[in-house]
Amino acid sequence: MDIIGQFPLFYFPEYGSAWMMGMTGTIHILASHTSVGAAMLFAYLSYKAYKENRTDLYPYMKKYGMFLLIFSYVIGSITGPGIWYTATAASPRGISALIHNFVWVWATEWVFFVFEVIGVFVLVYFIDKIDKKTHLKLTFSFAMASVGTLALIIGIISFMMWPGTQEYYTTGSASDAFFGTNTFPHMFLRIGFMIMLSGVIGLIISSAMKKDNLELSRELTKKMGYVSMLGGFLVLFFFMWYMGTLPDNAHAVFNITKADVIQSRIILTVVFSIYFLVAIVKPQFISTPLAGVMVFIILIAGIWPGEKLRESMRKPYVAGQYIYSNQIISRDVPGKGIKSELPIIAEKGLLQVNPFVPKNLKVITEENKHEVGKLLARMACSNCHSLEKTGKYRPLKDRLAGMDKEAIKSILYAIGAGGMPYMPTLKLPENETDAIAQYFASMKY
Amino acid sequence: MDASILLALRDPAGVPFYPVVFQALYVLTWALHAAFVFLALGSMGLSLYGTFKQKSDDNWKILTPHLIQTGKISISILIVLGVAPLLFTQVIYDPNWYVTNTLSGMWVFIFIYTLVLGYILYYWYYFANKKNQGGGKLIGIISFLILIFAGTLMHNFAVTSLMPNDWMNMYAPNGIVDNSGWTFNVDTVRLIFMLSLSIPVVGLFLQNYSRFLSTRRDFSEIFIDYCAKLGTKIGVVGLIISAVAFVAWMIQVGYLLHPLSIAIVVGVVILLFMILKNSNSYITTIVLVVVALLISSMRELIRFDIMAKLGYSIYEYPVNLEIPTIVMFLLTFLVLGGVGVAYLLTLAWKVGKNQGVFDGTKDKAVTKLGNYTLSIMVLWMVIYFGWGMTILFMNIL
Repeated sequence: MDIIGQFPLFYFPEYGSAWMMGMTGTIHILASHTSVGAAMLFAYLSYKAYKENRTDLYPYMKKYGMFLLIFSYVIGSITGPGIWYTATAASPRGISALIHNFVWVWATEWVFFVFEVIGVFVLVYFIDKIDKKTHLKLTFSFAMASVGTLALIIGIISFMMWPGTQEYYTTGSASDAFFGTNTFPHMFLRIGFMIMLSGVIGLIISSAMKKDNLELSRELTKKMGYVSMLGGFLVLFFFMWYMGTLPDNAHAVFNITKADVIQSRIILTVVFSIYFLVAIVKPQFISTPLAGVMVFIILIAGIWPGEKLRESMRKPYVAGQYIYSNQIISRDVPGKGIKSELPIIAEKGLLQVNPFVPKNLKVITEENKHEVGKLLARMACSNCHSLEKTGKYRPLKDRLAGMDKEAIKSILYAIGAGGMPYMPTLKLPENETDAIAQYFASMKY
Repeated sequence: MDASILLALRDPAGVPFYPVVFQALYVLTWALHAAFVFLALGSMGLSLYGTFKQKSDDNWKILTPHLIQTGKISISILIVLGVAPLLFTQVIYDPNWYVTNTLSGMWVFIFIYTLVLGYILYYWYYFANKKNQGGGKLIGIISFLILIFAGTLMHNFAVTSLMPNDWMNMYAPNGIVDNSGWTFNVDTVRLIFMLSLSIPVVGLFLQNYSRFLSTRRDFSEIFIDYCAKLGTKIGVVGLIISAVAFVAWMIQVGYLLHPLSIAIVVGVVILLFMILKNSNSYITTIVLVVVALLISSMRELIRFDIMAKLGYSIYEYPVNLEIPTIVMFLLTFLVLGGVGVAYLLTLAWKVGKNQGVFDGTKDKAVTKLGNYTLSIMVLWMVIYFGWGMTILFMNIL
């Protein structure tokens, strides 16, 4: 029996299941990046407090730590596995590929997580219960552990874009998959962002301290301004390096929205540069509500579109440039004994090789054609496009508006022939192509 | 669901090490994760009782916030420990894991936000109770119920993954495909057993708590004695409830007379005796860990047998050995993890035992462990970058 490892399809109407993953991912990125950035900032403040005998810094660190404990560690530690869960529901084979390539890397990261989670409680709750030197040592090891988590996850999420070199496909080695050409630029780009975020969050707390200690509040606001500025500069610098290490299909997608992306990033850079400059020059102008709003802007205007762009630039792949977003393996990976599934699908069709297609839909008839077309459309397209007439996520209504069955078919043929670098080159038997086209035509977009 | 489908659903990349190792790691890490699940639910549940008593009772005035704090930290630890079994199960049981996640996609999504909400409300409860006057009752109860619901969702995933023969019917009942991800399955007896374990665990925790504080002069003997007795009472009653629920579960699945099941019953009897006697609760805790490992093994045995009957054996999973990353894991786990976690726990233990500010510089063990941890971290980073750059140079030049 010819079967490929396709799982049941989970589809969230109007938006698509990938959108749910994006939502959880965005929240997680804010929380996790803040926590690593804050760990570095904590180490710096601890060093300063210890070296200059600044006992007044400890209450600030305690407040900052409590905020982080609740914000980063509650939300970050849940949404971390949360991305994993939702990504699993949306792209089971994509996540499976990551797990089966990098299980030991993830297990190593877990060691750091355990250290971090116990460490953050010790760090925050013992700030006034242990001597300053021991606390300083603790903050440094904690900061290094936090950076360690980044060092370990970065190779895995870089691999989602592509392994970076061809070596992985022949050796199948996790090291070759992990250390690609874009791993390090990606890492430093994120470190810059983490530093910036730690300052941006720090501004919320420093501005809230005005009532208790105005002078200290101003001093810390200024410092957070400098920290954020440094982080922001690193982001810009490494972003350019990072872009240069991406594969052609990523650039093909990027070029579609390049002008808009550049424009929005320039606006963000200007707005945040002004904000950081105000924090440095006129710290008294920074209020807690303003600082909170700026975090929200970063989330909505910075992280969300940024991650969406990274997600788009991976297309048509979801992992390692061998698994398509629609969960089909598209190339051989001899190092792992993986075979492309495209030939068997082209010959037998998706209906026959997918074990979760019910018997009554395995063979196309006039009676079930609409239902089969709908199922095939969901299986082949719904990971990237919402199919409804009112769909919100890269909706097909925009792409297929006013087209009849034949016009839609010609697009499907073009995709199957590899005519669009960001679409999967998925060739289906004629009757399945026909069923999909008929279903889309019946939608009358 | 026949073997050919289950085998096709395995990841074509194979597994990077011998499956039995993943199986052992799964059993071990699930037991650790579950221990903190029980402690979190147990201490929170008991703290809720405390919020009603603490205004008029001096013992509960001290105990309640400590229970809340215990629950709060336990949730963080259970989350981080939960990542490991999550990882290992999908390495060798990927057909089960991924089918379950896609069938219950909506619940998977809801689970995450349920947990976020439940935990944030927990912090609210914690802050509302800071004045030791019994505040935050309602928010505590809501948080508790939400967390129980999160546990039930997790249970749903476990149960669904054990029903390969029904997957097709869940996905396409009567041939009509359902992509909504609303599949939900509950095994009531199993769920009751799992939840019931929170009771003996919090009982034993109270015995440990009392033992730990016995060296502190700022806690009265009356309070310490009260906690020990309360722990004994809750532990004994809880163990009996859990034992009954366990037997009911075993009868349901037909494993009552299996040696592993009998070993668990014997373990529970030993625990009962030890908790009743309370001569050294730390040793009782070690026995509890052993029993938890046996329960974890029982779960795995049931799953292994279900899959074996369908022709799926994890031991036949194709292996693509991956040496460098397993070496990285083992060294990090043993050296960095061992020393680093020992450092944190030693520090926490000593600070807890100490009154006033603890001077770590005068404590040899803490100073040494701290220095080692820092040095190992630095060394780890050096090796990481060295390794990465070597690979890159070899592959691109």
